[in-house]
Amino acid sequence: MLFAQVQKSFWNEESGSSALYIKLILALVVGFATMALLLRMPPRGRRAVVVGITFLSGLFYVAFYLWPKPLPGVDGTGAPLDPAKPRDFVEYVGFYLKDALPIVADFSNILSTFLLGLGVFSIIRIHGRKLIRRQTDWGFSLVLMFSVLLMVVVGYINYWQTHYGPDPSKLELPRNWSFVQYANDLLFNGLLQQMDAAMFSLIAFYILSAAYRAFRIRSVEATILLATALIVIFSLMGVVAFFWDKGVNGISGATTGGIAGNFTLTEVYTWIKQNVQDPSIRAIDFGVGIGALAMGLRLWLSLERGGASA
Amino acid sequence: MNEHSSWRGVQYLDTGWVGIAFTMMLVLFILFNIKRAGKNQNLFIRRIAGLNAIDEAIGRATEMGRPVLMVPGIGDLNAISVQALNIFAYVSKTAARFSSPIRLCCGNAAVFTVAQEIIRDAYQQEGMVDRYDPDSVRFLSDRQFAFAASVSGLILREKAAAAFFLGEFFAESLIFAETANSVGAIQIASSTQSTQTPFFIAACDYVLIGDEFYAASAYLTRKPVLVGSLIGQDWSKMAVGGLVLLGAIGLTVQMGVFSPKTISRTAQDTVDVPTTISVVAKKDGPYAPYEQAIGTTVHTFALKKGQVEESDVPLTEDGQKVPMIAPRVITAGDTDVMRLFKPQKDKTVSVLREQIDKPPKDQIVPGTDVPEEDK
Repeated sequence: MLFAQVQKSFWNEESGSSALYIKLILALVVGFATMALLLRMPPRGRRAVVVGITFLSGLFYVAFYLWPKPLPGVDGTGAPLDPAKPRDFVEYVGFYLKDALPIVADFSNILSTFLLGLGVFSIIRIHGRKLIRRQTDWGFSLVLMFSVLLMVVVGYINYWQTHYGPDPSKLELPRNWSFVQYANDLLFNGLLQQMDAAMFSLIAFYILSAAYRAFRIRSVEATILLATALIVIFSLMGVVAFFWDKGVNGISGATTGGIAGNFTLTEVYTWIKQNVQDPSIRAIDFGVGIGALAMGLRLWLSLERGGASA
Repeated sequence: MNEHSSWRGVQYLDTGWVGIAFTMMLVLFILFNIKRAGKNQNLFIRRIAGLNAIDEAIGRATEMGRPVLMVPGIGDLNAISVQALNIFAYVSKTAARFSSPIRLCCGNAAVFTVAQEIIRDAYQQEGMVDRYDPDSVRFLSDRQFAFAASVSGLILREKAAAAFFLGEFFAESLIFAETANSVGAIQIASSTQSTQTPFFIAACDYVLIGDEFYAASAYLTRKPVLVGSLIGQDWSKMAVGGLVLLGAIGLTVQMGVFSPKTISRTAQDTVDVPTTISVVAKKDGPYAPYEQAIGTTVHTFALKKGQVEESDVPLTEDGQKVPMIAPRVITAGDTDVMRLFKPQKDKTVSVLREQIDKPPKDQIVPGTDVPEEDK
């Protein structure tokens, strides 16, 4: 491999080694100390810390983007190099950034995991209160709370049995399943996945009703939209496209470069897609990309202050 | 700096440096205009109907005594969701002034926690923190369709009078928009996913298209930093547009205006490369050593997944292809091309290539001999 993923770096240690535990404890101490410091600081000082951390976090990705990524391992004569050894400081930093990338990306995952707890707490608070006070639609809240509890209990027991149980590999075969595996299968594959699919399938009906409203002829634009949509729809309907194209190709010269050949449904659809749809989407995407760049810059440099930039 | 210098990073090889330099130019445009806007307070922003309608939508909700619903999409906490929350802060301030109830539904826990802070701040800035209901900002579910079902249920139960769908939406966009439409809510929507924008256009009253979404906070607050950033974005768009135009002209000239050249042949060859010679697609033969390829035009070059090791060629993030190389004529001493095209010793390299030739005038060039799905 080119990069030093397998090499021991600042960011990893051997599993179970004392160095790993020391680093873990140090990270915890630093984390708690930072948290305590942030809580005790006045708002202005806290803001300075947040600005600093935001800048440093963003700086890592900027450095990763700009710093020369190490080239395939060849020396000045073209002979292969030991890929695990950086040649100089520039490559050393390149390797370091590459090694650190998954770790830094994990930081945000870890933070999100902590925040998920707050999200679940919000659900329990809102629906628990509704349940206790018997407010309107408290029955739905009861179903929700029961479902959450059931899923958590069954999910965790199943996870424990299939990962740390007496014989996890045995549970890969359905014939060896216990009640918990069947319950988990029913809840996840039998109910949750199916309900997801049911919600997804609703979109087909919503598309129909939305299309009906959008394609009503009210203006020139709506008429153009309707005509374009009909061409695209027909071109995707095999039978219609087949017979239309057959009819057009029957016109003299259509298949030998004549102008009529441009009016098959597939040709018109391709023209619409390549000359109208794709460029429009690309233009929109350019705008969105540049907007995201500007927003990212403002956040990174803390130029964006408070909600609605208050 | 020689060919193998450590300063020549993978991302700067071939035309890679152009993209980075261009990005840096856009960054400079934005930062320069942010600085410039501080001095000039009277900068013009064109009218955006969707944003003008915000006050109208909230007013309607107030009159009807029904809540204002806001959904910042189902994406992670990123620039898009933060921008959506910024707009929602403005909506919340206006709603607070009119004592209209709000419902902000989140499908991501990180967005939820930030939303709580931002909305509470918005009420605080209006001096109406007592009107802030912590339950008005809710985390519903981080599963896409469970979230869609929850939001739809909430819309139907509480009969929202105004609905704002701003952020990163996917398949659930139409479920939200149609459900809100069914209860007669006035809807203002925007998705950064261009695939979802048509659905919103079909189903909603007002839609912010593309970068109008990012222009919203500047439009609503007229803060110099934001307006400057918006002007920087406009400069950037003009630069991108100019580059697109330049590319179109360049390609037109290259392909020939009056005697057009076409891609005459597409072929996939498997070549056993016994030595470390560089290979390139050559005009008249399958492959040739680098020295023989001088003067030929390389059009595209792509490696199939799994057929070369990562150390052979700088791969893109998805590990499937080397970066597309712009059509170029190989000249003597063209070391970047040599490096990119150098396969490992004794490896079989599958190369998909296209050649640009002038087709014989009296002959129609035969079709491709590569299956469409392999290109």
